[in-house]
Amino acid sequence: MTDYFSDETGLEVRMGNIVLKNPVITCSGTFASGIEYSKFYDVSVLGAITTKSFSLERMAGNLPPRICETSSGMLNSIGLQNEGIDYFINEQLQEAKKLGVEIIPSIFGRDLDEFKKIAYKIKNIEEEIIAVELNLSCPNVAEGGIAFCASAEQVGNIVAATKEILHTGIIVKLSGHYNNISETASAAKKYGADAAAVINTIPATAFDIETCKPKLGNITGGLSGPAIKPVALLKVFELAKENIIPIIGIGGIMTWQDAIEFIIAGASAVGVGTANFIYPECGRDILQGIKQYMRRKNIGDIKMLKGIAISNIIKG
Amino acid sequence: MKTLKGEIVANRKYSDNLYKLEVFSPYICKNAKPAQFINIKCSRQGSDDPLLRRPFSIYEIDEQFNVFSVLFLVRGRGTQFMADLRKGESLDFVGPLGQPIKIPENDSRFVLIGGGIGVVPLCLIAKNLKSIGKTVHFFAGFKDEAFYTWERDLIKILKDYKIFSENGVFGEKGIPLNYIRENFSEFKDHHFIVCGPLEMLKQAQSFLKDRKVRAIAIMEEKMACGIGACMGCVIKIKNKNNGYSYKKVCSDGPAFDLMEVCFD
Ligand SMILES: Cc1cc2nc3c(=O)[nH]c(=O)nc-3n(C[C@H](O)[C@H](O)[C@H](O)COP(=O)(O)OP(=O)(O)OC[C@H]3O[C@@H](n4cnc5c(N)ncnc54)[C@H](O)[C@@H]3O)c2cc1C
Ligand SMILES: Cc1cc2nc3c(=O)[nH]c(=O)nc-3n(C[C@H](O)[C@H](O)[C@H](O)COP(=O)(O)O)c2cc1C
Ligand code: FES
Repeated sequence: MTDYFSDETGLEVRMGNIVLKNPVITCSGTFASGIEYSKFYDVSVLGAITTKSFSLERMAGNLPPRICETSSGMLNSIGLQNEGIDYFINEQLQEAKKLGVEIIPSIFGRDLDEFKKIAYKIKNIEEEIIAVELNLSCPNVAEGGIAFCASAEQVGNIVAATKEILHTGIIVKLSGHYNNISETASAAKKYGADAAAVINTIPATAFDIETCKPKLGNITGGLSGPAIKPVALLKVFELAKENIIPIIGIGGIMTWQDAIEFIIAGASAVGVGTANFIYPECGRDILQGIKQYMRRKNIGDIKMLKGIAISNIIKG
Repeated sequence: MKTLKGEIVANRKYSDNLYKLEVFSPYICKNAKPAQFINIKCSRQGSDDPLLRRPFSIYEIDEQFNVFSVLFLVRGRGTQFMADLRKGESLDFVGPLGQPIKIPENDSRFVLIGGGIGVVPLCLIAKNLKSIGKTVHFFAGFKDEAFYTWERDLIKILKDYKIFSENGVFGEKGIPLNYIRENFSEFKDHHFIVCGPLEMLKQAQSFLKDRKVRAIAIMEEKMACGIGACMGCVIKIKNKNNGYSYKKVCSDGPAFDLMEVCFD
């Protein structure tokens, strides 16, 4: 059997100051810190893993039920339950490091000040991580609970503040929910972000027609999985066309074919989320599929694939 | 835990909507413990609709033939897919998942109460308890006829059982908890293990709590990953400060101390 993993040639991805050995990353909230999935395969084959988003203090999360299946997708209303950044730093990081994979902690604050406080804590472990992801799809409590990424100014402020504290790579996680993704990405880039992760889940809900009640304890949740793939692809494509910032394409990626589609639409790397729940080994399998595709198409470097669909449209 | 494929040895129809799926899997037969479950992909290979895997308790393990089974009720699309599976086809599943139940070693007498499909995990637990020489009384309660023929499985595990149906069409008319209430002196020093609808668990908790009886509950919640990674399947468990914390049914459970479960 060919060992597709020993040969990493042509897979390296450079996004600003972030260098990944290959383009397959797991998404925040779907892979915990990798430990559970390491029972299924050697997760060190991945380009990196993004942790669950951590806040300054632990958060209890939302009322159950938190999960509900919808057409070709799922809703979740986890409510960012997490044990707090100190727990990640003191308890989880070393365990995760043993997996031999690059780690991207995802963080979020309720206001700018909390983002800064978390960044100061991350500073102590900067050598051990490859980048930090700012989850900007969460509500800004100081601004009436509207998501940070609803405002390019807010995004700029948070990136600028983080950049002042940290030297590691900065990824901004943006929601596809607002029609301002170019402005927010531009602001992020201007103040020093290296890449944008696009998209987060899409706000959604579902009702039970027998009980006539919401299916989620929190009433609303976020849609993910194959159902959101075309929406996510469009966001990635639109942003990539403007060539603002390197993109991690996320949304409904289940197979290597989906991953290639995001890359030709302009993504530098891909994030695999919900698919992990159904196919625990999918990160590995998607990477293998990408390699085989590159071989079959005689593509020596993944960079040659990036945005081909955009150039084809321009060429006509 | 592993992602596995197992050949379907039989898919037996017990009643209109109750089925037993028997699957060849040396790995599960060797490694699965009572109260653990598997997460089944309920769509054809190459299809992701329905998307999420569905969790099912391990019902029986036949170590001699390396066959385990799940007993399931048809509820929606996922379980309908399972009902349509045929002998010789392959089942795609992840398992074994969840923590094995911790049997209190010092207790020698157990009462198991199952409501509806909640009897499933209790069967493997009962078999295990019997094999280590414990005394087991099994009480099963059902709403309707779906489980009419199920007794043939139970009788293979133990003789000391009572079956109730609410409408009285089979077994005794009534519900197990009423029987326990009326005959409590017989069971007061037993360890209870219960699994079933939330209302039943709630009533069992309030009745047993007043009598200072120890009890384990096997819980259910909607799941996504099934392995403790997504925080999707949490339930409220009382903590020391009189508050509660969320615990994951898939990886902290599915067995919990019944007295610590919050049913608000
Ligand atoms: C740990 C665990 C063990 C289980 N063991 C068994 C078992 O041994 N046998 C069995 O028949 N069922 C078992 N279940 C329930 C089973 O997983 C659901 O019935 C199944 O997921 C329904 O899928 P569906 O696509 O047919 O129905 P859906 O279309 O998803 O839903 C149909 C109905 O089933 C209910 N339902 C869906 N998911 C669950 C769930 N996770 N728990 C309870 N109700 C649910 C829905 O609320 C709805 O009313 C178990 C659940 C858990 C969490
Ligand atoms: C259960 C669950 C939890 C998630 N938690 C987070 C989170 O903590 N932070 C975050 O930025 N995104 C979170 N996400 C969003 C994912 O990272 C991803 O952006 C989204 O699910 C879309 O990708 P997918 O369709 O491949 O899942 C979560 C998604 C799911 C399904
Ligand atoms: S189902 Fe994901 S944590 Fe339990």
